[in-house]
Amino acid sequence: MISPRDYAEPAGAIAVPAARPRRAVWRRWESLEGFVWVAPAFIYLAIFIAYPFVMSIFLSLSSARVGSPDWHYIGFTNFQRIFEDPTFWQTVRNSFIFTFGSEAIRLVIGLPLAFAMNRTFKGKRIVQGVILIPFVIPIALSSLAWKWMFDSLYSVINWMLMTLHIIDYPWQWLGEPGLAMWAVIILNVWRGFPFSAVILLAGLTAVPVEVIEAAKIDGAGPLRRFIYVVAPIVRPILFVGLLYSIVFSFTDFSAVWLLTQGGPYNTTHVFGTYAYNVGINAGDIGQGAAITLFMFPLLAVFVIVMLRLLRRE
Amino acid sequence: MTRSALWRRIKRDYGPYLPLSPYLLVVLFPFYWMIITTFKRDNDLYNLTGVPFWFKESPTLSHIQLLLNDTLFITWLKNSLLIGAAVVVITLVIGLPAAYGLARIRFFGNRTLSTAMFLSYLIPPALLFLPLSQVVRKIGFVDSIWSLILVYPSFTLPFCTWLLMGFVRTVPAEIEESAQLDGCTRFQTFRLIVIPVIIPGIITAGIFAFTLTYQEFIYAITFISASANKTISYGVTTDLIRGDVFYWGSLMAGALIGAVPVAIVYAFSLDHFIHGLTAGALK
Repeated sequence: MISPRDYAEPAGAIAVPAARPRRAVWRRWESLEGFVWVAPAFIYLAIFIAYPFVMSIFLSLSSARVGSPDWHYIGFTNFQRIFEDPTFWQTVRNSFIFTFGSEAIRLVIGLPLAFAMNRTFKGKRIVQGVILIPFVIPIALSSLAWKWMFDSLYSVINWMLMTLHIIDYPWQWLGEPGLAMWAVIILNVWRGFPFSAVILLAGLTAVPVEVIEAAKIDGAGPLRRFIYVVAPIVRPILFVGLLYSIVFSFTDFSAVWLLTQGGPYNTTHVFGTYAYNVGINAGDIGQGAAITLFMFPLLAVFVIVMLRLLRRE
Repeated sequence: MTRSALWRRIKRDYGPYLPLSPYLLVVLFPFYWMIITTFKRDNDLYNLTGVPFWFKESPTLSHIQLLLNDTLFITWLKNSLLIGAAVVVITLVIGLPAAYGLARIRFFGNRTLSTAMFLSYLIPPALLFLPLSQVVRKIGFVDSIWSLILVYPSFTLPFCTWLLMGFVRTVPAEIEESAQLDGCTRFQTFRLIVIPVIIPGIITAGIFAFTLTYQEFIYAITFISASANKTISYGVTTDLIRGDVFYWGSLMAGALIGAVPVAIVYAFSLDHFIHGLTAGALK
């Protein structure tokens, strides 16, 4: 993170005595000065991240509702109600299926793509640019396209599948419990696999060509080269990229909200959408805050793993 | 030419593109479908006979007209661009000194604050939207785009500062030290030496601040309710669904046109973008 080199005294400083007093002043003020430089940013984050975070803990212990500003402390009632709420447990399950299902598929289709991109060819830059489009376009807008493609009557996906005789009747992608989960995962994969591929590609390009050549000379086939040479070098990069992507899937709101609003029968609710439904639509802010807080311990686990990996590097 | 020679030639000329083509197809099809839907007449859209991939009746502009005349689409676009520009400015004005301070100045708590900066990026809007709706109400910005301008830097700042720190570290410390010896104050060094060197980084950070802001959805739908204050993502996805009726032609037109500003920014900054993506995630 911070290399000692950055703070090493330049050799010239000793040779120019006249400049020394000024440097000493610089050093003395450094500690205080550092705070001045970073203060605005951290004040901002304190107001808009730390404060609301603490506030959500208070909210979760209160009976706050939309429209009535007074909070009454009600202890752990909100949490108790959550534990007895089958929809909440379904939401927990959905969140895991949605996150890890999407992640697994992203990797499976991202890896061949990264390999295909990991060579020089004409138009590589353009191809890379096009592949990343789903990741750049606002998810709310591309969700609309998918909602239309999954339409109950006019789904073009159904038309293709039926024309190819893969299915023999139009599937209700957004109306059938199991299928709806597939639909949101498909959208999430489509949006996120370019990111996975770019991260994987960055990992692959970090592998020195000489190392691969050496392994080739030693008689290692493509599979062994991948397992024993490429994978260990790529692993740390891959892990960090993976954790990012898991955190963002896990805390997703827009993709699910726009495609299914958590339906049918709550089978696609994730933490974000369920909390929105309870906290904003039903107006029970306290209960909603309690739901969002359940994300925190899980996020903390992801983050600790990530920090450990980063520190090891 | 023998068969194997032909095969070898195909492999040489098109080899890299073959495995890429299914990906390109999957990536681009939804956009093709949006374009086709935008220009198809309603009769044509809801005609289930025949191949849907092309026009069966002459194309129409009526969906775009509905979007422009019967909704506040232009207002939403303006709101989104205005919010985006404001957030980029706030992010850079606050984020640049912070990045410099964290990357260059050795002070007590520097490492802790750097880690805090990194971690705050991982606290998602889905966790904060409920309390923030109360904060917004307290400040008195309910149903105003000011609420979004104020809140959005909370997620652009951590990411962009982190990104900028990486760029600041690439400026050789020796240049700064010699400027200090020549009598420059810390601020002068920052303004005259560091900033000009990290212009590419500043552009990258600006691009990310803009795209992240333009994509945001949950805060917008929580804080805003009046149609005139909506952003693109919010307006298009709500105001063209009336009761049970989805105006698919206009919905797709809105989604397409709404995506244009991001697409333009993105097309002009592809290299910066890819660099930022990998650097932001990995450094």
